[in-house]
Amino acid sequence: MAASRGGFAGKVLRVDLSTGKIGVQDTIERYEAVLGGAGLGYRVLWDEVPAGTGPFDAANKLVFAAGALVGTSVPCNGRTTITTIFPTCWPRPLVGSGHMGGHFAAKLKYAGYDALIVEGKADRPVWLMIRDAKVEIRDAGHLWGSGIRRTTLELSQEMGPDCVVAAIGQAGESQAPMGMVINSVSHSAGGVGGVMGAKNLKAVAVQGSGAVRIAGDKAEWEKLVKFHLSILGANNQHVVPSFPTPQAEYYNPASRWVGQPGRRWGAAKPPVELTGDIHDLSRIVYRTNSAAFFLGEEAWKYTVRGNGCTACPIRCHTMLRVPSVTVKYGIPDMAQNTCIALQFGRMFFKGLMAGKGGEAAIEACMVGMHLADDMGVWSNYGQLQRDLRKLYEGGYLKARLGSKEYASIPWDKYDRNDPAFLLDLVPRIANRQGELGDVLSRGTGAIFDTWSIPESDWADDHSTTYWKMGHPKHHANEDDGQCGVIINTQYNRDAQCHSHTNFVRNGLPLAVQKKLATDIWGSPDALDAPGDYTPANPYKARRAKWSLMRKELHDALGVCNWMGPWVASPRWERGYAGDDSLESKFLSLATGRPMDREELDRAGERIFTLHRALTIRDMGQVDMRAGHDTVPPWVFEDAKGAAPFTKGTIRMDRADIGRAMDFFYEAMGWDTATGAPGKARYAALGLADVGEGLAAAGLVPQDGK
Amino acid sequence: MSAGDAPDLGKAIVEAVREASAEARLVGADEVVERLRARGFGECLDTEPEVDPCRRVEALLSGLPEIASLASLSGRAVYHDPALLSRTYARILDRKGVTALLMAEEIRANSRDYPRPVPVELFEAPPFDLAPEAIEAAFKAMAASEEFRDIAFTTTSQGTVYLFSSLHLERDYATFLAEQDETFSMNP
Repeated sequence: MAASRGGFAGKVLRVDLSTGKIGVQDTIERYEAVLGGAGLGYRVLWDEVPAGTGPFDAANKLVFAAGALVGTSVPCNGRTTITTIFPTCWPRPLVGSGHMGGHFAAKLKYAGYDALIVEGKADRPVWLMIRDAKVEIRDAGHLWGSGIRRTTLELSQEMGPDCVVAAIGQAGESQAPMGMVINSVSHSAGGVGGVMGAKNLKAVAVQGSGAVRIAGDKAEWEKLVKFHLSILGANNQHVVPSFPTPQAEYYNPASRWVGQPGRRWGAAKPPVELTGDIHDLSRIVYRTNSAAFFLGEEAWKYTVRGNGCTACPIRCHTMLRVPSVTVKYGIPDMAQNTCIALQFGRMFFKGLMAGKGGEAAIEACMVGMHLADDMGVWSNYGQLQRDLRKLYEGGYLKARLGSKEYASIPWDKYDRNDPAFLLDLVPRIANRQGELGDVLSRGTGAIFDTWSIPESDWADDHSTTYWKMGHPKHHANEDDGQCGVIINTQYNRDAQCHSHTNFVRNGLPLAVQKKLATDIWGSPDALDAPGDYTPANPYKARRAKWSLMRKELHDALGVCNWMGPWVASPRWERGYAGDDSLESKFLSLATGRPMDREELDRAGERIFTLHRALTIRDMGQVDMRAGHDTVPPWVFEDAKGAAPFTKGTIRMDRADIGRAMDFFYEAMGWDTATGAPGKARYAALGLADVGEGLAAAGLVPQDGK
Repeated sequence: MSAGDAPDLGKAIVEAVREASAEARLVGADEVVERLRARGFGECLDTEPEVDPCRRVEALLSGLPEIASLASLSGRAVYHDPALLSRTYARILDRKGVTALLMAEEIRANSRDYPRPVPVELFEAPPFDLAPEAIEAAFKAMAASEEFRDIAFTTTSQGTVYLFSSLHLERDYATFLAEQDETFSMNP
């Protein structure tokens, strides 16, 4: 039972906003087989949310789930997975998860809960107060209409500075599918803000005074944590620095390990100079500066420090102070974020896309972060920005928007790459104001539906990077050939899988990568050099499967798949090997129940298969191969007409991708004709009830494999 | 020097090389001898006057697995501890006075091993620290020399110059990799 198991908090909190009922369940008894996080979310949706439920229906549930490693001292453990019927999935909503870092997950565990399941719909705006065992639904009338920052501030003042607030902004309140929830000021989960808004739930604020118990040997635990720190690289587990240094055999100018000794956090008071041994475990924080990586050298002088998630030394949310934006745009001079969210503002402007962008791009990023992270508008991995560019530059808007609305939009500012354009555009989206604001607030699928634009206009155009179902590619063939393609076919939103790309972009020479690939996946042919792709083979499919299972495991354990898995390392003396069994070692020590790598990987496969089952159930069709696992036409084209498998193209071959999918389905034990698991496969993974349910609905392959 | 002194001397040699490696410097045997004398090993080194101390130190260095030697451009052997001063960095240090060779060998290694072209800006930053004028002069020298005929460049659509070796990368592939490298920031 819960009391005898470490790692888990032991309880799941359920809050029914319709009835006001608040209760708890035992985590281990009900959800141990799916670990937590996304696994727990999928299980709740399978058991409790019927097929056909809409994202904004009261019957939809919103599962905020941490994992067994959250709140411990495992590096990079700050992830919350929020699983629900995902509103931007097109043409029909299906299961999906938003993921956020920050400190919400750890606080939830410290309060005594592995997950929070939100049910029903409040009859008025409310917020949820969680202070250990004390849980209350409180009135949020005074907060409704506020941005995320004010909401966070007010609730923090009410509860105390040690609480963590996850809140929605105006986008979530207006039930925008593109709404997001944000905790700890900058840590966002896309697509789920509108679901909160539909439940009239403005925020969840958590305070926890407990701790997470480690059941295993404490000395072993500490040793493993130190080992893990020793094999960390920089952001995205880039294991070599971007600069030649006496302390590294290899370097890679494209590495996110940009913190070269001598650099300065120029906006810190006083400025901080990066010094010392780059491998020093107390200086890991110096390695990553997302702003400098994405925006160039100028960003160093605006850098205050790195911020980040629970127990994570990477600090990928770079905090910037840019005084000029206060004068020019009337916004605060401080902002912080990483990756796409850092570049939210810049990416709208074609003229700011070239290279690192410099000062103009930095200002656009500051304006974008100010608006998006306060109003809670999601970028859909940059698809929002690419959509606007294509709509405007392709003449779609001029042809379809009413002339009055079109004229009301300050296109002159857009054309001048003036970030002030965002001060007009983003509130339109958050408030669903006008036709443009409303359509963009509903995601890419709404563009096709509302304006009768064929999906093929996007799917044929590589510049959109559109993949399918209303979402873009996320590290696909451009990074990793067939492996990337397979991964991008599997989800109902953008794949958000980094297991594969973190390996291929780790910065090590190809021969070293191939040596590691041989050790892990059985053959050097599991990996190609970028843009020098060879035909599909079973080893690539094995790596694709491994990548997906590890992503699901990370989302279930609460560790960061933007950093893991840690199978490569900066350590010369280890031949640059990391440790493929790190997750199982940590979980075994945390829970006190030994679990080897193979057993934990089976748990990952169980979780992923449950996601598959939910997709099959809610699509009402078994043929996933034809109906779901699709690849956009641009993947099979090359702008210069280069043939597949020639050096210097990411063009894939249709027949070869067909073989790649065969290899993958075989690796998964799924029916190759339909890409669906059979009853036996469900049963073998401990999901017999799921298999039987689908069989009863005629949703397993006919041969019963 | 008695046989009993060898372990201490060996240890001192390792320390002398490590000291230099920690300062990002390569050392020859003569400098190691100087450092040993400064540490009080002079008497030990001079116990056999017929043996040149440098030769003796070289012989001892060849038996120290933790110390690596490098055939310097000057023709002599230089030493470093790879744990403190990597082979890659050691080669850069050794070639620093010969700009064209320094650039060419770095370009070749990147093209061969990773494989990738490198942005020209790489050579303006530490540890190369080359002025644009010096880089341009090196290019001219390379263009005029048969020795460097494999060194080529490609310019991306955004105007950045990337360098590669045609011994290891075809032009079209180098161009693809350069474009990809430059757009990583738009593919996070």
